[in-house]
Amino acid sequence: MTSDEQLILELQQGSDAAFTELFLRYRERVYGFFRRRMNDAAKAEELAQETFLAVLRAAQRYEPRATFRAYLFGIAFNVLAAHRRKTALNKAQSDNAPDEVSDPSGTNPEIVIWVRQAVERLEAAEREVLLLREFEELSYEEIAKILYVPVNTVRSRLFRARMALREILATKSENLGGRK
Amino acid sequence: MTPSTHPFEQEEVMAYLDGELAANHAASVAAHLRECPECAALAKQMRDVSVQLSNWSVEPAPASLTKNLDAARAERALAKVKKPRGFDGWLDGKFSLLTNRWVWGAVSVVAVVALLIAVGRPNLLRAPEAERMASRLAYARRSQSAELATKENATSDLESAQTATPGPSPEAPNGQTQPMIARTASVSLIVKDFGPLEASVKAIAQRHNGYIANLNSTSPQDAARALTATLRIPSAQLEAAIAELKQLGHVEQESQSGEEVTKEFTDRAARMKNARATEERLLDVLRNHTGQVKDILATEQEIARVRGDIEQMESDQRALQTRVDFSTVELSAQEEYKASLESAPPSTGRRLRNAAVQGYRTVVDSVIGFGVWALQSLPTLLLWGFVAFAPARWLWKRLRRTPASQS
Repeated sequence: MTSDEQLILELQQGSDAAFTELFLRYRERVYGFFRRRMNDAAKAEELAQETFLAVLRAAQRYEPRATFRAYLFGIAFNVLAAHRRKTALNKAQSDNAPDEVSDPSGTNPEIVIWVRQAVERLEAAEREVLLLREFEELSYEEIAKILYVPVNTVRSRLFRARMALREILATKSENLGGRK
Repeated sequence: MTPSTHPFEQEEVMAYLDGELAANHAASVAAHLRECPECAALAKQMRDVSVQLSNWSVEPAPASLTKNLDAARAERALAKVKKPRGFDGWLDGKFSLLTNRWVWGAVSVVAVVALLIAVGRPNLLRAPEAERMASRLAYARRSQSAELATKENATSDLESAQTATPGPSPEAPNGQTQPMIARTASVSLIVKDFGPLEASVKAIAQRHNGYIANLNSTSPQDAARALTATLRIPSAQLEAAIAELKQLGHVEQESQSGEEVTKEFTDRAARMKNARATEERLLDVLRNHTGQVKDILATEQEIARVRGDIEQMESDQRALQTRVDFSTVELSAQEEYKASLESAPPSTGRRLRNAAVQGYRTVVDSVIGFGVWALQSLPTLLLWGFVAFAPARWLWKRLRRTPASQS
């Protein structure tokens, strides 16, 4: 199988097929990236599309120093940051809308809400590191580059996030068990 | 779990689970995990957290994402094909150049350097000029004090010096030529008590062995009385005399200047020496004359002419010496005058007319003033705006990015 990095180099040469392949490989993960960070599914889709268009536009600037995954989620993170700035300006249409819970097939929706609420209780900076590590599977160094913080900071934030999440999930599971 | 009881920190255990440790480090952590139940428990908790997180799945990306993206790509491809040519295309290229941060960086650097040069160049030019000025001032000060010292030593000889033929030459005892400086000072005063002023001025001149060359006093009606005087004070006592004069009232203006006359003095001394030698030779001719009466008369006439020249030069030289020995102080004093209420205030019509004229003048002045200000300041403002634009833009971008990355 052609590697992601090979594909983006082909895209630089103008290969449309390479882009399609990359899109197919990362469509779900990029959509998931936005979907886990916002309640509005349509908005998540729009931002995912914007991310892929940005990849297409900026393909020429890609240098094979970083993995494509890190590059892609770096762009996605910037798109997200821009969106957050806009929504921060007109707070009226903020993400505080009632949860429109996704309906993932084969998973208990209650567990999804449970985990999601636990993650939302984390501190913003720690939450971001945790999500980038657990779902986008980026290395500490890649996360550090995206967030403009030292690697040690990434490591300590991640540790704190996991410890806090362990506590939250432990109490929640007790409550859930008690209710059942 | 502390480092004293465990060889690894908890974060290192986590990093091991994440595959973030180097191979040998990872191997030792793995070995420790096998032995240490506490650390193994922590590792299990970490894994559990990850497992629980993995339950958070999201619905698959909607099909519309692929469709919309394809549409956007098609649109983009079309736009690329239709890329404007000619002037618009050229303009497009130029604007992309303008958004390039390297171009902006280079332009900013050039602007800053140009500004530094613009600000620094006059100072650089001024520096040697200031140095020259300073050395000139230092020279003047040195020569003045040296001259004062000479004069103080020679105060007793002053009288004879003036009456004696060539006066003391500017040759200092050590043989070095000392500059001769004719000093002039002027003092303007406002005095409260005008009555005893004239007597005080005279007393000061006398106390400092000087004299009053000129004194003029006016006392007009309905106006302040005034006095102007020219004092000649021995140069050595000039400062003291001025200090005393300044005690007489409020000093409105004061200035001092010095004119170097050394060259004039030495030139004339040399000419006088020549003239005397000529006179001497002519006298010799007269004493040993063997010629006719006509020649004797001609020689006599020549001697008289040379004598006249010498006397003229001697008197000029004495006057010059006096100018050097006696500094000139121009004093002008005015009474502090309290105006009394005289005629009635001007009529209403006149006042209105005056106000209108004044108002018109103010408007014209302010318009001209604004124009002058704009012409003076706008280039600078534009320059600074241009210089500050790129850093401000960068900072703004950075600030906008920071909250997003932290949220």
